[in-house]
Amino acid sequence: MRIDRKAHLIFVLIVGLVFVAGCWDRREMDEIALVMASGVDITDDGQLELSVQIALPTAIPGTLQTGGTDKKPVQVISVKGRAGLEVFALLQQQLSRQLFLGHRAVIVFGEKFAKAGIDQALDVLIRMPDSRYNSYVLTSYGTTAKELLNAPYRMEVIPAIGMKNIEAAKYSVAVKVDEFISDLSTVGKMPVTGAARLFEDAAGDKTFQIDKAAVYRGNKLAGFLSGKYLKGYKLMSGQAKGMKIAVQVEPVREKTKGIVTVEILRAKTKVLTHWEKDTPRVTVSFEATSRALANESSLDLSKANHVRRLETELTDKLRETISDMIAKTQREYRSDILGFGREFHIQHAKEWKKLKGQWDELYPEIPVAVAAEMKIERIGRIQAPGPLSKEEVQ
Amino acid sequence: MKKRKYFSANPYSNEIGKDREYYARHLYFPASTIFSDVRVKSMKRRTNRQRPIGELLAEPSYASDAVLSDKLDDIETEIRKIFDKCADLVVRRLMVSADVPVMVVYLKALIDEGMWEQGLLMPLMNLEIENTQDPVPFFARFKATLPSSNPPKNTSNMQEAVRLIVHGGIVLFFESRKQALSFHIDDQLQRQLEEPMTEAVIRGPRVGFIEKITVNMTLLRQLIRTPRLKLERMTVGTITDTEIVVAYIENLAPPAVIEKVKKRLSAISLDSVMGTGYLEEMICDTPYTPFPLIKTTERPDAVAGSLIEGKVAVFVNGTPMVMIMPITFWYGFQSVEDYYLNFIVASMLRWLRFLFALFAFTMPSIYVAITTFHQEMIPTSLALSLAAAREIVPFPAMVETLIMEATFEALREAGVRLPRAVGQTISIVGALVIGQAAVQAGIISAPIIIVVSLTGIASFLIPQTAMSQAISLFRFPLVLCAGMFGLYGMSAGLIAMLIHLASLHSLGMPYLWPIAPFNRKGTLDVLFRAPWRFLHKRQQYLLQKRELENP
Repeated sequence: MRIDRKAHLIFVLIVGLVFVAGCWDRREMDEIALVMASGVDITDDGQLELSVQIALPTAIPGTLQTGGTDKKPVQVISVKGRAGLEVFALLQQQLSRQLFLGHRAVIVFGEKFAKAGIDQALDVLIRMPDSRYNSYVLTSYGTTAKELLNAPYRMEVIPAIGMKNIEAAKYSVAVKVDEFISDLSTVGKMPVTGAARLFEDAAGDKTFQIDKAAVYRGNKLAGFLSGKYLKGYKLMSGQAKGMKIAVQVEPVREKTKGIVTVEILRAKTKVLTHWEKDTPRVTVSFEATSRALANESSLDLSKANHVRRLETELTDKLRETISDMIAKTQREYRSDILGFGREFHIQHAKEWKKLKGQWDELYPEIPVAVAAEMKIERIGRIQAPGPLSKEEVQ
Repeated sequence: MKKRKYFSANPYSNEIGKDREYYARHLYFPASTIFSDVRVKSMKRRTNRQRPIGELLAEPSYASDAVLSDKLDDIETEIRKIFDKCADLVVRRLMVSADVPVMVVYLKALIDEGMWEQGLLMPLMNLEIENTQDPVPFFARFKATLPSSNPPKNTSNMQEAVRLIVHGGIVLFFESRKQALSFHIDDQLQRQLEEPMTEAVIRGPRVGFIEKITVNMTLLRQLIRTPRLKLERMTVGTITDTEIVVAYIENLAPPAVIEKVKKRLSAISLDSVMGTGYLEEMICDTPYTPFPLIKTTERPDAVAGSLIEGKVAVFVNGTPMVMIMPITFWYGFQSVEDYYLNFIVASMLRWLRFLFALFAFTMPSIYVAITTFHQEMIPTSLALSLAAAREIVPFPAMVETLIMEATFEALREAGVRLPRAVGQTISIVGALVIGQAAVQAGIISAPIIIVVSLTGIASFLIPQTAMSQAISLFRFPLVLCAGMFGLYGMSAGLIAMLIHLASLHSLGMPYLWPIAPFNRKGTLDVLFRAPWRFLHKRQQYLLQKRELENP
């Protein structure tokens, strides 16, 4: 009897516990507002403006609702306030559903806000348990985060998914929250994010494009890299694979432009740091193999000497691109985005202790030597340039 | 100790005080132990308690142990008293070999009239025995000269005689001999041998057991032609006196298991045994579990295969189901067909069953846990469509799941009860129509329908119905766990489940063998169906024997 009673008691307690303690953090799918993207701006009077792009699931065309609805599949809400999390609370006040950050694809820093320093938004990123580290970080360029989030995107139902897919495909610089925070907190490495801007597409609609990289110096935006500088950064930051490089191998002729385009197949970068006579020095080496994509010159690439000539031209071009980029970050932005300081820390741990405190000041002055090497591995299915007759090929 | 009051549930007793005794007798443990704290762990003690069958049969007052009377008249009076108001009783006086008065007693409903007349009555009337007055060699000569294919059985007490009569015998009482002879002329009433409905196979024998135990034994003997196949007869049930047969192959089945089975069977004192289910609960190690600790099948080839693996089978008269023991958890996912198919295909099918058994068990709870607690785990596009589907639904996901799971189980049960022709249609159409309508009316979300129907299909993939039912049953508490505590609660539920499974034994055999305790060779027939050249059944048995003898 005693055992029976004990068993009953335990059973009752367990059942009671389940109903008392259970379910407290339960939220149904239709009780949450799925935040797809969020953006932070700073207003002229120094207030923080938080914008969120919330998905409206019912407006997303599916098989259940055939025929498009007129509703927009996302809603952008902006709220102004003083501090990061306070604004978040204000935002929540406007919504009938609980903000849910688990599916946030991108977080956008407005250009002005980033220039003023991103400290205020950091806590939202790091401390909130809801917020996940796998959203991409973007910086707006020439516009505000709010406008960027409001921009429609035709390819995807939800614009934020479009941004995420562009980032995921690495067409531009792709940095996630965890990497951004890690770079930010490391002495000897500065964060870089992709930079998005508004532009008008052929139909005249405003939409966004991610075509630059934003360079930070500490917690402040220092500037943007675009064009060949962006290319140089991507080469050095391990995003070189698949990159296409065109090089002028001979002067423009009657029938040919003298350009050969190659695609990088594999790339290897190495940062060597030296400590000589109490001065730091850096050697950067870049090795890549590539395949010829287009041959608009009169060179027959099946001939070894022509390939060597092409390789030399490519090597020169790569070296120039990389050193220009490094020079720009040293002189203009004074931001160690390639992490030379971190390399120093690894390779010369003892000396780093002396350098650490003054690294930010030292970085612009450090001599950097760039060594590049490019090999052509495949030349494609035809050796000679297509449009030329046999006699015209060299 | 708390006093327990009984209401008068015994229709044979008008006195309330006697109920306690009645329960004591019929609930197979003494009155003093009923509802006492000892009972909690008295499972083994109870089944091991031996009570001879004779004692149980002695309960009714009419069947005395007394030796048969000299006088046929006295015997007739007693027989008529015992079989009072039995319309089918036949008592007939004959004169055999001119001067031996014989009384024939049988139940007309039980015997084969034609056989009685041709096979016994005719030879009996034509019988001529010399020197009939000499009592001792009389029976020997009687038996020797009677031209009947039916061997008679001697008996000298009334109780035995009555027993033979109700088992379909024709009993001959002799004047002043104090002995009776019984001829078993059972009615050959039986149904056709058919393909078992519940265990159909594509490649393999098409015959199934029927309700007659003698036919079932024939079917088994035809598959295993060795004198080492032992068929031991017993009876259980104080009223029904049901015939059961314990079958095993000598030197293959572990003696310890045979002994255990026989001991537990003979300890049973139920009023009636109508099927294997009665015995299953009485002889298994742990009755308080929904998992089958004893396998039941109606396929002779399955029984034969198991016997060769060193198992023990128990046939019960009146049911086509045969019990096989000891078994492990994995038997629930095996089908005889596995052994007839190509081994690669069979292994793949087994994996498919394992996978879908896992689906059947966890799918609804995973759905509930993820959609109500861990939305970040769902891929974004799926999350969006789930959110869209749930938009107008009034219930929380857990309630929704429970409603639909219960509906599905109800439809399944209804399908079983309905006439076969309409059953299938109703259950499938019912599920589709109800599902479709519920989704369109916005009461249930569409993903739930997908989850529930996939779960349903998955549960039908489990070959053993008992295993499928056990898994379906545990689905509900797991959904509750998931709905209360998310994946955390779900894993707690799964661990509890695993602990329960690991604690089970089937006649001493660990239920999760050969996975836990692990045995490499044993896995050949569990995780895969190894090719026959490697899959020596004998080896399986030897492993199992070792497992059973060193617990």
